Amino acid sequence: MIVAGCDVGSLTSKAVVMNDSRILGRAVIKSKPRPWESAESVMNLALADARLARDDVRYCVGTGYGRDKIPFIDEAISEIGCHGKGARWLMPSARTVIDIGGQDCKAMRLDASGNVEKFVANDKCASGTGRFLEVMAKALGVELSAMADLSLRSKHPVTLANACTVWAQADVIKYLHDGIPVEDIVAGVNNAMAARMSTLVRNLGVEPDVCMTGGVAKNGGVIAGIEKLLTVRLKRVRRDDPQIAGAIGAALFAAEKAAGARR
Amino acid sequence: MRQATKEYPFDWMLGSAFATGARLGSGSEKEYRTTLRYVPYFSGILSALHDLGEPGAQFTSLCAKYFENLLSARDRGCKTAATTFCFSPTILYALDIVPICLEVLSAMMHLTYRRGTGEFLDYCNEAGFTETSCSSQRGALGGYLAGLGCQIDMVVTDTPGVCDTNANAFAFAAAYLKKPFFQLDFPPVLVDPRSDTYHREDYRALVRFLEEQTGKQLDPDRLREVLDEVRRQDDIAAELDDLARMVPNPVPVAFSFLVYAGRFLFGGMPECTSMLASLLNVAKANAAKGASGLRSGQERARAYFCYIDHYAQSMRLWGMLDELGIGYVGSILAKHWSPSSPYVSQLAKQAAAYTTDTTDLDTMLDSVASLNSRMPMVKSIRGPYDAPNMWLEDTLGMAKLYSADFVVYNGTPGCRNTWGMLKLFTRDTEKAGYPTHVMYADAFDERVQSWEATRERFEEFVRVRRLLP
Repeated sequence: MIVAGCDVGSLTSKAVVMNDSRILGRAVIKSKPRPWESAESVMNLALADARLARDDVRYCVGTGYGRDKIPFIDEAISEIGCHGKGARWLMPSARTVIDIGGQDCKAMRLDASGNVEKFVANDKCASGTGRFLEVMAKALGVELSAMADLSLRSKHPVTLANACTVWAQADVIKYLHDGIPVEDIVAGVNNAMAARMSTLVRNLGVEPDVCMTGGVAKNGGVIAGIEKLLTVRLKRVRRDDPQIAGAIGAALFAAEKAAGARR
Repeated sequence: MRQATKEYPFDWMLGSAFATGARLGSGSEKEYRTTLRYVPYFSGILSALHDLGEPGAQFTSLCAKYFENLLSARDRGCKTAATTFCFSPTILYALDIVPICLEVLSAMMHLTYRRGTGEFLDYCNEAGFTETSCSSQRGALGGYLAGLGCQIDMVVTDTPGVCDTNANAFAFAAAYLKKPFFQLDFPPVLVDPRSDTYHREDYRALVRFLEEQTGKQLDPDRLREVLDEVRRQDDIAAELDDLARMVPNPVPVAFSFLVYAGRFLFGGMPECTSMLASLLNVAKANAAKGASGLRSGQERARAYFCYIDHYAQSMRLWGMLDELGIGYVGSILAKHWSPSSPYVSQLAKQAAAYTTDTTDLDTMLDSVASLNSRMPMVKSIRGPYDAPNMWLEDTLGMAKLYSADFVVYNGTPGCRNTWGMLKLFTRDTEKAGYPTHVMYADAFDERVQSWEATRERFEEFVRVRRLLP
């Protein structure tokens, strides 16, 4: 049975098409100003990737901050639930999931069956979110995707404010003016991000296995920083792209709903 | 601050809104609905109160009466005192002083205006008062600092040693406005002979200050009258509190707010007593039918708010609880430690309760000192959170007594006395079996976190913890 999940986030939109818990197609795009436009575009790309048409999809679940504005979904489900489910699919042994989204970051604890047991989220400030990294990359004049490799070359990482994105950006500019090597500043940015996330995760309580989802999970510098601070190894997500965890979770919910409806 | 905000005194504006609301009650439903279209700015709060029926109408009238008293105080030869919610207004009324309760005014503004108190909060910063302070005082205080409120004659508070941001707000106000200032302070232990002596002596110094400021001597008969009224209010509140223990809870969700707001404004005054009686009538009628106070009639879970509520425009907190079918068994603000309260008898906390002995002036002063020392917050957050009679013990006691399914914390980011201990506190409540949700919002300032985001997080919590069957 073909099902789909669509995750319209503040920075990127993701869509996944699945059949029997197997991914047939996926897509990630930069979110557009209007959530319904993001949803249409990303879903069309995912369907094209799966070589399917909209009518082939039996049930579709939407999630993310724009979920209520997606016109073609059968149901909207909150991000926490979808990310928890998607993370469990990506990493079946995961009990603690760290998810860094564009404008929020969250840590979730899963029970043995994969249900979200508890969560903490920080949505007061851009610090500790994907937007934080994006702003810093822009200030440094480097590609977001290059930040992981750059930070690994650092010898003397700088210390940055991690409570406020604007102040951290001011620090970055000052360090650049002072002639500090870019890789040391990038490492400082990744460490600031890791420190922010570690505080949040400790608040929830760390229970292995720990995994990370969201676009920032592709940044090895942040992962290394979190591992160092939490003194726990983060299991690397290899089954698929960690950025599409929310969309995968939505599609898995869609499969359950469709099966329920069929019964 | 926008020119429009400076155009009219803010307390007069609020008073006019509530006076209009009170008059609307005498019209037909059709007249009422039509009039709402002409007051779009206030229609949210007026309809939220109107929908509560007779108690809502009485509360609207009570607020209108409070503002009338406040705005006419000078003409009537009465003094005014800026004060705090955890300072019992009883002694002020006994000396014909009109209390200006900053926190209630901040809450009223937030409940009424779309922009809340944002401009006044910022004005305090412009005047030099720190933005890391508590928004509950700062909201209304900004209006007074900007000269947009009625005349304040003196400043009295009782929070040093309990809440530094509160105490500093009043100290700042007194210095900035050049007004006489008195502060009671409290020892960290509640039940202790030394604390009792301290409360009594400190309170007598307060009375001397008030007599000096008003040029009047405290009249024992007037004080007795006020204390008798306090006793009547205590009894009604205790009965409501007792009814709230029933399953389903027959007390509508918003009543708790009406109880404490009424008591903070008119504690010891008959205006509040009749409003409380109207709440009790509704709750009793529901109880007689075995009906829930929720509009849906079906209580799916019940929540105890371990600190304060959220004052989003048009009472949306209570609207949300009602919509979700969550019975609300009050917050710390609604729990007055009178001897007749169910939590005093059921939790065997007689020593922590206040007394009201009206035999003579001395016993009455002791009583009012004791009452004041048991007001919300100064009673339970004066010492370590896990000490006897303090925050944790009270919360777990209330949660058990009221059969709460979960506990919710909401406060303000400036509240260091609770935020400082919150992690340990929630660890303990969770360990005791109560899923605990922390709202990261500011009860008085939606710029910190929008109501929509606050609601979404709350709903996420009840869903993830499977609290709504």
